[in-house]
Amino acid sequence: MELAEEGVPPVINLTELAEKEKEEFEEKVSELIIEFGAENLMACMQCGACASICPLARTGFEWYNKKLIKAILVGMREELLDDMTPWACVACNRCTEICPRNVTPFEVMLAMRRLMVEDFALPTLTIEGLRSLYEHGHAVYMTGREARKKVGLPEKPPTTDSDEKALQELKTILKNTKLAELGLIPME
Amino acid sequence: MVSETETVNENEERKLKFGLFLGCNITFNRPDVEQAMRKIFPALGVELDDLAGQSCCPTWGTMPSIDDVGWCAVAARNLCLGEEKGIDLMTACNTCYASLNEARHKMLKNPEIMNSVNEILAKIGRKYEGKAKCRHVTWVLYKDIGLEKLRESIKYTLDGLTIAVQPGCHFLWPSEVYPDREKDPFNPVVLRELCEALGAEAPYYTKLIDCCGIGALRSTDPGKSFALAKDKLECIKEELDADLIVAGCCSCMIQFDDVQDKLRKEGKINFSIPVLHYVQLLAICMGFDPQQVAGICVTPRDEIIKRILEGGKR
Repeated sequence: MELAEEGVPPVINLTELAEKEKEEFEEKVSELIIEFGAENLMACMQCGACASICPLARTGFEWYNKKLIKAILVGMREELLDDMTPWACVACNRCTEICPRNVTPFEVMLAMRRLMVEDFALPTLTIEGLRSLYEHGHAVYMTGREARKKVGLPEKPPTTDSDEKALQELKTILKNTKLAELGLIPME
Repeated sequence: MVSETETVNENEERKLKFGLFLGCNITFNRPDVEQAMRKIFPALGVELDDLAGQSCCPTWGTMPSIDDVGWCAVAARNLCLGEEKGIDLMTACNTCYASLNEARHKMLKNPEIMNSVNEILAKIGRKYEGKAKCRHVTWVLYKDIGLEKLRESIKYTLDGLTIAVQPGCHFLWPSEVYPDREKDPFNPVVLRELCEALGAEAPYYTKLIDCCGIGALRSTDPGKSFALAKDKLECIKEELDADLIVAGCCSCMIQFDDVQDKLRKEGKINFSIPVLHYVQLLAICMGFDPQQVAGICVTPRDEIIKRILEGGKR
């Protein structure tokens, strides 16, 4: 009996833990979004100007700019971390241009991505893009060069693709960024 | 004492020179756009530098989705390649235009970001001072070269053709970060005037500033992306019955070129409007080989190119 009390760790109540995490998330999500680049988050008055011209709102994505900001302000954890809307944002910045309170809703979208990245909640294509950026210096990369040949250009473009020293420079840069800390892709 | 030659030199126009920033899509998907730029600019008296060793700008789904410093560091390395030669960059891709200039704006506005970036750049022996920026080909043609010189430089005119222009989102917003700005960023006129300079009509239409739907939207939900593009294409057909769509952005060009084929196959549209980047249209009008400067497409261009070459000789 004594042994059990001393040696066995206490039973972890998962429901309690999840609730505690949820409460913590609710408390700090606004702070994190501000820290991740959306400095003027709190200036949002939910006027909806951003939603009126957002391609995501128009095409029927659930958590477009205005709604995303509301969800952050009230700390809706599951809704925020499970939905891929921020990854569909085309970064058009209509919202930034039109916002009367300088909230820069695009920065909120971007900050939400940055928060999701910490939770590994990102699309496979994004990981592929990052890997390709690191391996080749191009997020969009193709090995086939028929198109370049067809139009009379050298197969190798004057980019990191044909310049090993330049590619190494880029790799050095990337290794010294948060990307390396996150460990999302192998970085030799 | 000032010699005559020196006086002449002072009065001479300073030769324009830009670093040709290619990005990913033009390099691998649509190198005919690269070829178009390599043909038209030297012919217009603009010298191009290859910016050897340039990389991805970086695009939105990569470093900008991680943090500001990493985004700015990759962008700054690209900008350094121009700055070290005392020249600005020039691009035909709106994403590159926006990512590079937004990064520059962040660095100029926030010394902390600039310092962190330069600490990273020091490891590769570079330093970004914030001088070099990225110009858009559309603006360089409009402002630095000018409509008059474009009119003089073409062999074929576009008389009788109606063009639907597609400036693209990242040509316009957020206007604060760009080196050149439309008077009203919600009513852009520069690309329309550039098309008119070649002899075409390029009228306003209701969805002129609508998004093409490519990029993250398309990779996340192709159905929604195609629906957005279809709305715009139908507006172009109904309001203008355009002969041609001309984009200032290579991504918009790819989207409308590609999506029409998909929508036709699904029976969702029953028309076909050829799509060109403005630099390709200009290159054709200047007499360069259409196979080289506009040879890659999904929606056929043969008929419109034939019509330009046969119909519009000056």
